[in-house]
Amino acid sequence: MRVQAHGSIRQRLLEMGFIRGARLKVEKLAPLGDPMELVIKGYHLSLRREESGCILVQRVA
Amino acid sequence: MPLVVALAGNPNCGKTTLFNALTGARHHVGNWPGVTVERRSGTFECDGVDLEVVDLPGTYSLAARSEDERVAAQALASPEVDLVLNVLDASNLERNLYLTTQLLELGKPMVFVLNMIDDAERRGIRVDQGAMEELLGGPVLATIGNREEGIAALKALLASLARGEAAARCRPVAVDYGHDVEGELRKIEGEIRRDETLAATMPARWLALQLLEGSPAGRQAAEESHAREAIGQQVSRSAAFLERHLGQDASTLVAEGRYGFAHGLVKEVATAPVEDRKSMTARLDAILTHRYLGIPIFIVILGLVYSVSFILGQIPQNWIAEGFKALGSTAARHLPPGELTSLLVDGVIPGVSAVIVFVPVIMILMGCIAFMEDTGYMARAAFIMDRLMHVMGLHGKSFIPLIMGSGCNVPAIQASRTIESRQDRLITILVTPLVSCSARLQVYIVIAGTFFTPFKAAMAIVAMHFLGLGLAVLMARLLRSAMFSGPSSPFVMELPPYRLPVLKSTVIHMWEKGSLFLTRAGTTIFAGATLVWFLSRFPGTANPQWTQEYVQQRQAVLALHLPQAEAAGRLRALKLARESRIVNSSFAARIGKEVAPVLQPILDPYHRRPEAWKDVIALTAGFVAKEIVVSTMAVIHQASNQTRPGERLSPLQQALKDHSGLTPLTALAFMVFTLIYTPCLGTVAMIRREAGSWGWAGFSIAYGLVLGWGLAWLTVVAGHWLGFA
Repeated sequence: MRVQAHGSIRQRLLEMGFIRGARLKVEKLAPLGDPMELVIKGYHLSLRREESGCILVQRVA
Repeated sequence: MPLVVALAGNPNCGKTTLFNALTGARHHVGNWPGVTVERRSGTFECDGVDLEVVDLPGTYSLAARSEDERVAAQALASPEVDLVLNVLDASNLERNLYLTTQLLELGKPMVFVLNMIDDAERRGIRVDQGAMEELLGGPVLATIGNREEGIAALKALLASLARGEAAARCRPVAVDYGHDVEGELRKIEGEIRRDETLAATMPARWLALQLLEGSPAGRQAAEESHAREAIGQQVSRSAAFLERHLGQDASTLVAEGRYGFAHGLVKEVATAPVEDRKSMTARLDAILTHRYLGIPIFIVILGLVYSVSFILGQIPQNWIAEGFKALGSTAARHLPPGELTSLLVDGVIPGVSAVIVFVPVIMILMGCIAFMEDTGYMARAAFIMDRLMHVMGLHGKSFIPLIMGSGCNVPAIQASRTIESRQDRLITILVTPLVSCSARLQVYIVIAGTFFTPFKAAMAIVAMHFLGLGLAVLMARLLRSAMFSGPSSPFVMELPPYRLPVLKSTVIHMWEKGSLFLTRAGTTIFAGATLVWFLSRFPGTANPQWTQEYVQQRQAVLALHLPQAEAAGRLRALKLARESRIVNSSFAARIGKEVAPVLQPILDPYHRRPEAWKDVIALTAGFVAKEIVVSTMAVIHQASNQTRPGERLSPLQQALKDHSGLTPLTALAFMVFTLIYTPCLGTVAMIRREAGSWGWAGFSIAYGLVLGWGLAWLTVVAGHWLGFA
């Protein structure tokens, strides 16, 4: 996984654990389709599509 | 000098519960200097040692990108903090330890608390505290904040540290960022150390890391140094070198280093959680954020909070209002008429009453919101509503203040506290007053009931509420694009596990909100109410001749020995006549006559209303609280607002219909203007308190007046064009 954003969003995502090699799981979408609920490093997080668009992931089963 | 302990930790790690458990009721709340983030500090005594505990805002990092982070970083780095108490959520150690790596770099003695250890154990996580102590270089203690377990041990530990006994357990620990990064860090540190004053204010390694990560606070600190150029050059050289050499930019490398440390530590000291798919949180979330059920459930919960706050809260509110009214009339009966009595009866008593009536609603609503926050539902509510609010340019958490605004704007603005980003919070605060509240409803009922048929009146009242909401949406978008051109803050929000809140914390929270309102906003409201009293009662109330005439008239009525009911009726009429005489010759009336031409296009477009200035008095008085518009109109028009049985219109409504000259169209314009023209005094006081400056409070009044005038004018023009009169 890799964060491709810049500026404060990038820093915030890095702090929240979006670093190379981290595993994340998309748990569900909000009732209106956005934002989405992710599980990363054992905790749950809500992220808008807009901001999650800059996260590069690879499917691992 | 007591030892100062700063509490630092992630949001939702149970910091505040721990703070309450440590300090009990002996704490006070204020704002951090210059910002609106709350500062709570308290003291406790253990084994004869005095300790002061400072609760810092919960943050994920100290990179100082948000206001909360800036406050926390600044406070932690300041020399007045002797010891850092890092609160860690034991069931979410890795993420919590990211902040710890930054705290370690501050070079202060640290104590670590594994809070909510019961949650972690339930999830099958066991933590080796001895090993953790070894790796972190500070005492580690397990606590369960909400059951006050481990608090006594923590107090004793802090006390022994204060006496300098357990100092051997604290030693500096550094995170290793790897060969290349460490090499560059040393070079930056070298440049920083050339400026001795800079190196004395904060550890060089801390600053070097902040600079390498590009933190604004770090840059600012370096900016003040005489060595800023050399430091800046070294930082850009190092960043370029690392990027070339390791293929990643510096902030990624630092973040990876921190998470590497956290990950390694967790692997070393804690057992992995047993994956439990049927945890309480997962089961609750399956329903509460369900695709189809999520929104209906949210609406039901919102309705519940609304009714508890504004319908249940109405009961004590009525007691308070009635109590003060009784006090006022008792005082009026026993004191001779004159300006001092008027000050007490029409100025001080209603002023105090105007402040206190808010307290029950504020306490109940804040209690409900604290409950939703503490259980973790607030984050889900924001999760559910974010899409909708994002379209408006707001945050998911702005939804609750906007809805609560339809009950009363004052607690609604206070409810915006839950929005973390200052920008989003400020926009929410500024648009909430546009949401039509229950006080304005009373004005609509009188006006619409007078000039429209019952069905049209109901439609007009509903339209006012939609107009208010629509304007709030529009203004939010406008403010966002006009004033805060930067990107809206990222919506990265943790969805914490559901927890049962601690009653004690909720009660403390409610009490704090209520008392803060009384001390901070109360004085402003009181001062404003007194000013409006002065404007609307002087000079008439100080006219001795009028007072004498009034006393004589009263005595004349009493001398007639009429049946009690008739005498009382006549006395009431006399009182109303006197008040009307005072108000209609007051400073407010003079101002009204001056201002009336400005309002003429909206309230008197055809120059047929010689008495349009009376509306201005009512609107001026309505600044204290919008429902006062009605009672002031009753005084001005010398007609009671009580509807007699069997009649549709009250004497006031009849008087408005017959004499005021308002037409259905100008009445509608009057309603539009009442909706927007300015937030009431309580709201203004709350905006000042929550936005942190008179500037924003003044802005909200000014834009309300301009927008209100504009829309009322549009109403008149459009109505005229459509053929209404």
